[in-house]
Amino acid sequence: MKYIALLVIVLTGLGGCTEPNKKVVVATAANVQYVMQELKEEFEKESDTEVEMVVSSSGKLTAQIREGAPFDVFVSADTQYPNEIHKNGGSDVAPRVYARGTLVLWTLDSTAIDLSINRLADKSIRKVALANPRTAPYGEAAVQAMEKAGIYEQVKDKLVYGESIAQTSQYIASGAADAGFTAMSVVLSPEMKGKGHWVKVDSSAYQPIEQAAVLLRHSEDSFKAQPSRDFFEFLFSGKAKAIFRKYGYSVE
Amino acid sequence: MDPEPLWLTLRLATLTTLILFVIALPMAYWLAYSRFKGRSVVEAIIGMPLVLPPSVLGFYLLLAFSPSRAFGQWLESTLGLRLVFSFPGLVVASIIYSLPFMIYPLQAGLQSLPASLREASYTLGKSAWTTFFKVLLPNSKSAILTALVLTFAHTVGEFGVVLMIGGNIPGVTKVASVAIYNEVEALNYDAANQYALVLFVVTFLILSIIYTINNRLLRVRHPA
Repeated sequence: MKYIALLVIVLTGLGGCTEPNKKVVVATAANVQYVMQELKEEFEKESDTEVEMVVSSSGKLTAQIREGAPFDVFVSADTQYPNEIHKNGGSDVAPRVYARGTLVLWTLDSTAIDLSINRLADKSIRKVALANPRTAPYGEAAVQAMEKAGIYEQVKDKLVYGESIAQTSQYIASGAADAGFTAMSVVLSPEMKGKGHWVKVDSSAYQPIEQAAVLLRHSEDSFKAQPSRDFFEFLFSGKAKAIFRKYGYSVE
Repeated sequence: MDPEPLWLTLRLATLTTLILFVIALPMAYWLAYSRFKGRSVVEAIIGMPLVLPPSVLGFYLLLAFSPSRAFGQWLESTLGLRLVFSFPGLVVASIIYSLPFMIYPLQAGLQSLPASLREASYTLGKSAWTTFFKVLLPNSKSAILTALVLTFAHTVGEFGVVLMIGGNIPGVTKVASVAIYNEVEALNYDAANQYALVLFVVTFLILSIIYTINNRLLRVRHPA
């Protein structure tokens, strides 16, 4: 019995109450995770603040933030979710657009040199992956692009929906889907670089994917206020912009 | 609320339960009565879905079913079947996922029957086949019911595996649990609530009915 009690204490972490160090928890939309890794390293280099990433889809993160998740900054894949949080009092500062995303069409089949949206109607392509257009901006953009190309009706029955851009990319990268739409930041990431074949989707074929970040109220009355604000500002710095560009985002 | 995901869940759970029952019966019989080398290994494999996170199962199934890998390629070239992102794929995945929930109760039920039952049947000249269907099974009604219900309920509650290999296609792989997840993600809590409430009530009713029947069966066998 004594040992059980001891075990419980150790496992619940009551045993080791460590000093709180400066740490910012960043809720990160799936498409931003690779670039965020680099931003995090850069920020940690120039300040003595630790950055912790929580990666998920923007919709899920928003639901969690609304229910009081302990995040300090939310880096979303769109502007709608951060606005929603701001409107509901989850943040006192209006969200700011940090970058614009680029949609790409990607396939694992490296022989598909003439990959294009119109090819998706081909019989050889049986499954096309995209992020859920109801919740993910890249999915919405993909639908717009297919509609613009006039092939949406033909491709509709081939569509499979990832719950986030991460799952969509996984469907494509594992070859489970023959082709699919994802963010350029994914195909440029160190993990995926050189895998298969991808092309940019004509940016006039879809509405700009504006991605906004928001400083969350959670950070405000804690000792994390300053580092959180610093990180938020860092997202709009010249250094950060250069990193965003490297991953295929466009920034002003 | 769109009733399609609920209907799909019902179809998936019913099909999985029926197919699994047919597969599990001989396996349970074999496990209950034969002693052989490597038995622990077989039992461990059957029990794996019980402890493995659904994400592990889903991940491996996604790779296995993918047409760019050996098994998926073989399925497609010989049977013309693509299991990833399809309803048959979900059925296959559910059968694997719910396997222990069907086999364990059946095996335990058969093992709990007194050996004299079988021996009496054999001495009366009945074959193993007749003994199984005419003597053993009718005396295992409670175990059969438990196995069927657990399998059905477990398949209704399946989420992680479906999310990994389903692709969220309306009317094909978008089952109720995934629909709830979608609605929460879209911040559409009302719709999520409606689906959740239906699932909640339906599963509660099924379990209540089954326990009532089961208690009655037990009372018949062991009258107070």
